[in-house]
Amino acid sequence: MTSIEVQALTKEFGTRRAVDELTFTVLPGRVTGFLGPNGAGKSTTLRLVLGLDRPTSGTATVGGRAYPTLQEPLRHVGALLDAQAAHGSRTGRDHLRTLAASNRIPGRRVDELLEETGLAPAARRRVKTYSLGMRQRLGIAAALLGDPEVVMLDEPSNGLDPEGIIWIRELLRRLAGEGRTVLVSSHLMNETASFADHLVVLGRGRLLADTPMREFIHARVQPSVRVRTTDPTALKAVLAEHGHDAAEHEDGHWSVRHARVDDIGRLASAAGVPLLELAAEEATLEQAYLDLTATETEFTAQPQEA
Amino acid sequence: MLFVPVLQAEWLKIRTLRSLLGALLALFAATTAFSAIAGVSETSDPEFDPLFMALSGVMPGQIAAISFGAMAVSSEFHGGGLRLSLAAVPQRGRWFTAKLTAIVVPALLVGLVTAFAALAVARAGLGDAASGLSVGEQARGVVGCGVYIMLMALFAAGLAALLRSGVGALSLLIPFILVVSFVVGDVPGGVTDFMPDRAGQIVLYETYDGRLGPWSGLAVTALWTAAAITAAAWSVRRRDA
Repeated sequence: MTSIEVQALTKEFGTRRAVDELTFTVLPGRVTGFLGPNGAGKSTTLRLVLGLDRPTSGTATVGGRAYPTLQEPLRHVGALLDAQAAHGSRTGRDHLRTLAASNRIPGRRVDELLEETGLAPAARRRVKTYSLGMRQRLGIAAALLGDPEVVMLDEPSNGLDPEGIIWIRELLRRLAGEGRTVLVSSHLMNETASFADHLVVLGRGRLLADTPMREFIHARVQPSVRVRTTDPTALKAVLAEHGHDAAEHEDGHWSVRHARVDDIGRLASAAGVPLLELAAEEATLEQAYLDLTATETEFTAQPQEA
Repeated sequence: MLFVPVLQAEWLKIRTLRSLLGALLALFAATTAFSAIAGVSETSDPEFDPLFMALSGVMPGQIAAISFGAMAVSSEFHGGGLRLSLAAVPQRGRWFTAKLTAIVVPALLVGLVTAFAALAVARAGLGDAASGLSVGEQARGVVGCGVYIMLMALFAAGLAALLRSGVGALSLLIPFILVVSFVVGDVPGGVTDFMPDRAGQIVLYETYDGRLGPWSGLAVTALWTAAAITAAAWSVRRRDA
């Protein structure tokens, strides 16, 4: 099993700390969402893991080894950092061939991936004619060339059309299902919620959270139940009697905080209150994330030392 | 990692960029064309040197060689391309060696063929004026010219890697070759003989009056190139990609 291990990793650019004493582990078999506002240090962390930037202190390893010591690294780790990295004057196919050649990956793998990423019809066109979505697919194809156990993608859904977004979601789920280690950075919360099992959240280069996604959401946002009835007075009485805190909204529906649909449904039924609507209001990752970053701003809103 | 696959990848990168193949073609075309023109021009100048006259096409032609070297390296610096290359080959020294090898070999081969062709077409035009050239002098001129072209391409490649910019390397080298060397360097025998381009050009003359000979002149150019490559290698290994 191959995990990504980051230990007390620190990277300074001049006097600015882009990554600050970061420690976390990305485990195989699940998709780990890598979240944080712009400039939080996500991309820097990925570059440090790949040995492209040198850490000021600390270590980052893949399967217990520093990336630059890997033999034919594309066979172990695949990464998409920047979809613009492919040279515009090369064809998509030639771009992949140059990467494959250095790691002795057979040429048929290039054609397989062009097929898999839907780029086969454009394979012999120059990359400069590609749309952003196609470049993104080319970058993902490059990441998967060596059939790696570890996949790291920086903002993979950037520029993808709705079909592309569904495709990447299914791809990530499949890769994790095959037991690979999948780390995906994003700033799109709804998107991340649709594929991640686990979250690593950064803020100003520091680790804010490293928890399973469900836990992350439930710890921060209380679920509530949405109810609509023809008899608000009776509903209110029943809820109050059982200690539920209900709030009425302008359009006539009620939300009951800290409650579950099973309970509210039974109570209403037992009291004979007619219900028109009963639904769980799911807490979203976005709410949880904003709650976390809001509290973080309070803690970090101190003047920066120069 | 094995060196050969890395070299194959770097060679593939050069082959798959039309602009680089175009630069090699331009090197051949410009050099032979200007040598052909020189071959039919006035030969009554008292300082007339038939070997230099025949190979003088390399003066404009070298700009294509410099562009080849600079662009072959700078194609890695487009929008984070270097990160992609170094993620595939994290041993940076090995990667840079492969890159330079993939530049040196075609530059030398095309340089030799070009020098030979330039000499042949110019001799056809010069006729009797070049009849005094010995086989040894002509062979020295052709080999030296090929080596000079290779060194200039490598020099440009080193500068481009150091500056991380092909435009930067070209805007430093081309004015230097076109202007500085022309203006300052018209007096033979001075310090200008030790400039990277002037020193290497001594090999193109049948007879040359100066402190450097044909091979020691090329050695001076090689030293300049080695300095550029060493600084570039240090930068490639040390800097964040």
